[in-house]
Amino acid sequence: MTDPSNMNFEPLVKELYAALDGKVSEETLQKELVKYLVTYKTGETIAKDSILKRYSGSRPSGTYVSGASVTKKIGELEGTELSVTVIGKMVFVDKSVKNIKGVEKTLISGILADDTGSASFTIWDGNGEYQKGAVYTFKNAYTKKWNDKIQINIGNRGKVEPNDEVVFDSVASSSSASFSTGGSATDVLIKDITEQSRSVNITGVLSGVSSRVIVVKGEEKTIYGGIIADHTGKIQFTDWNNHDLRDGETVVVKNAYIRAWKGIPQVNIGDNSTVTIAETKLNSVSTGPSSRTVEEVMKAGGGGLDLAITGVIVDVKNGSGLIKRCPQCNRSVLGEECSAHGRIEPVMDLRLKLTVDDGTGAISAIINRNDTELLTDITLDEAIELAREKGDMRHVTDRMTSTLILKKITVYGNIMSDDFGPQMSVRKTEVVSTDLTAEAGKLYDEVEESLS
Amino acid sequence: MSGIRETSWRIFASELNSASYEIKAEEEMKPSYQVSRLGAMINRVLIAGVLTEKENIGSDEEPMWRGRIMDPTGGMFFINVGRYQPEAAATMADIDIPCNVAVIGRVKSYTNEEDRTWISVRPDKVVQIDEVTLNEWLLDTAASTWKRLVEMKKAAYIEDKSVDGLISAGLGHLTAKGVSIALEQYGMPESATYFKSIQTALRALLPDKNVDFGLPEDLADAPEEIELEPRSGNTPAAAGGSSEDKEEIILQLLEELDTEGKGAPRDELEDQAASKGISAMELEEISNSLMDKGLVYEPNLRYLKRI
Repeated sequence: MTDPSNMNFEPLVKELYAALDGKVSEETLQKELVKYLVTYKTGETIAKDSILKRYSGSRPSGTYVSGASVTKKIGELEGTELSVTVIGKMVFVDKSVKNIKGVEKTLISGILADDTGSASFTIWDGNGEYQKGAVYTFKNAYTKKWNDKIQINIGNRGKVEPNDEVVFDSVASSSSASFSTGGSATDVLIKDITEQSRSVNITGVLSGVSSRVIVVKGEEKTIYGGIIADHTGKIQFTDWNNHDLRDGETVVVKNAYIRAWKGIPQVNIGDNSTVTIAETKLNSVSTGPSSRTVEEVMKAGGGGLDLAITGVIVDVKNGSGLIKRCPQCNRSVLGEECSAHGRIEPVMDLRLKLTVDDGTGAISAIINRNDTELLTDITLDEAIELAREKGDMRHVTDRMTSTLILKKITVYGNIMSDDFGPQMSVRKTEVVSTDLTAEAGKLYDEVEESLS
Repeated sequence: MSGIRETSWRIFASELNSASYEIKAEEEMKPSYQVSRLGAMINRVLIAGVLTEKENIGSDEEPMWRGRIMDPTGGMFFINVGRYQPEAAATMADIDIPCNVAVIGRVKSYTNEEDRTWISVRPDKVVQIDEVTLNEWLLDTAASTWKRLVEMKKAAYIEDKSVDGLISAGLGHLTAKGVSIALEQYGMPESATYFKSIQTALRALLPDKNVDFGLPEDLADAPEEIELEPRSGNTPAAAGGSSEDKEEIILQLLEELDTEGKGAPRDELEDQAASKGISAMELEEISNSLMDKGLVYEPNLRYLKRI
């Protein structure tokens, strides 16, 4: 870290000044920054957040007012910029429809690269049309950091304009973002694919191939998707050009690129990719769930498909036990009021939100009624009865907690990651009973072998 | 990513109690870690053994439980339960000793004037367990210790022991970081200590096999016995305590001193904090951190109020 007392505060002051719409003088901001960074050594993120909160009453949300904005190279971005101008080449761009808080919203995302690096970007207003391979100026962008990777965002106040003056002959091909600029691809096993993987070659068996129609630049386009599996695991793929892929075929995919969604890496078969039928069929592909440690999941990006995690229940979180749901939308409700459907007659249900820890890391596991009954030995009817007797739903949770803590279980399902860490919607739960003698014997042999 | 839950390390007392080096949090709300001699970066632990002692060193109204848990492989775990761990405090009040327990909690370190560091665990949960669960913990912990020994051994043969050097030689990212720091701080570990813990665990799990790693028999059973005395009666942890402890103290003071509902007067707060071993300078830092967390605010310059 740089010594704060030698720091040049000017860019930061300018940034804050712009973000606060010039309402606070640069002199004051300078003083505040010195206080946070020099006197209390809070670090830049906290200093900016705190100062903004103090003077605007809100934390950074990406709706900053434009003003004097600094221009930076992608390699210089720190993930804390509130208003920054970046010029780069869109090496990948895609329009998608996301459901945000119940509202369908179109947004544009992709990867922007210059000669110093690359970063993923999101344009939250999805109305524009952008050309892959063209250079654009991102004005008044804000940046965030997630899993040590920088993301460039264009909010209400930001703007993206074509830039014909700048030409990038060679954009950075190594960096945080996951894309291929045509370099040499490496052969990988599916379990070793992480969201940092760039260009990859995979050999695997296809299943669940289906097509869907998306709208690209106002035109309908059919793309294909499914699952590709080898003996180490399985992964979702999207075929952007029709390669006539069929279930059950063993294929060799070359030069595919990886993008991750909520921590789950996915294979994209794009313009530079080739697909050929393999000479020998793969037999021992993973059809069932793949066992992973939490460490391995985190390394892949924090997510994955059809995984099995075995660990100990170390916490039973709020929202576990007997809960009420809206009969129409199934949302969990606190009283008799649903935020979407008003006054309702709630339906009772059981659910668990567990923290499962395997010694290499921890995930949240959401467990449905059936498996909750199985794990706790308390049925929904019994739980309702117990709550009525004690006059408190909390009592059910307490009783369940005491039977659950330290239980060793295996949970099966897909894992996704967000700001709260990796989370699994559990499809199936099993209580693990370890054959202690056998497992201890294995460990003994292993240790002894290393000593002899 | 403050939401991500830290790993609960399965670790024997011999390794935990010698994890004296602390990586302090770089920013507020970020975790700090004790680094073990085998390179584990520990914020939380899952430990188990026999609860042999319990003592309420607080009052009936404000209990402060101290306990000792005997690790079946040798050595003691020390736990401290304060008023901010109500669930664990309730268990401690009811539990009959001795009995088998497991503890899930955060690790705290305390360094005295002579630069000696003690490790204790602040439990979120204290759970009474049966023999089978204790044996499962023994197995998991032995396996986990073994894994760290193997990584450490790998690192011993790698020339470049920097984090990057270890990563490019094939160690995982987090392992490389922990191992690199451990080697820098402590040098190569005395592997016999950890082999001995694993041997003791396997002997308990495999009574019919003659588990013997051929270790020298005169090896000390456990690290030197540690007496963990609180600095003074009621203070959860005074001058040597972590910043979280101090924040707890300040929050408590704010409540006590807020007699008229307009907050606690700064000067009184300063006096009270000083009497608990927190300097005016530290107080300033702590209140800033609490403001950052949105727990307190300044109704005006001379007052601080809890939200």
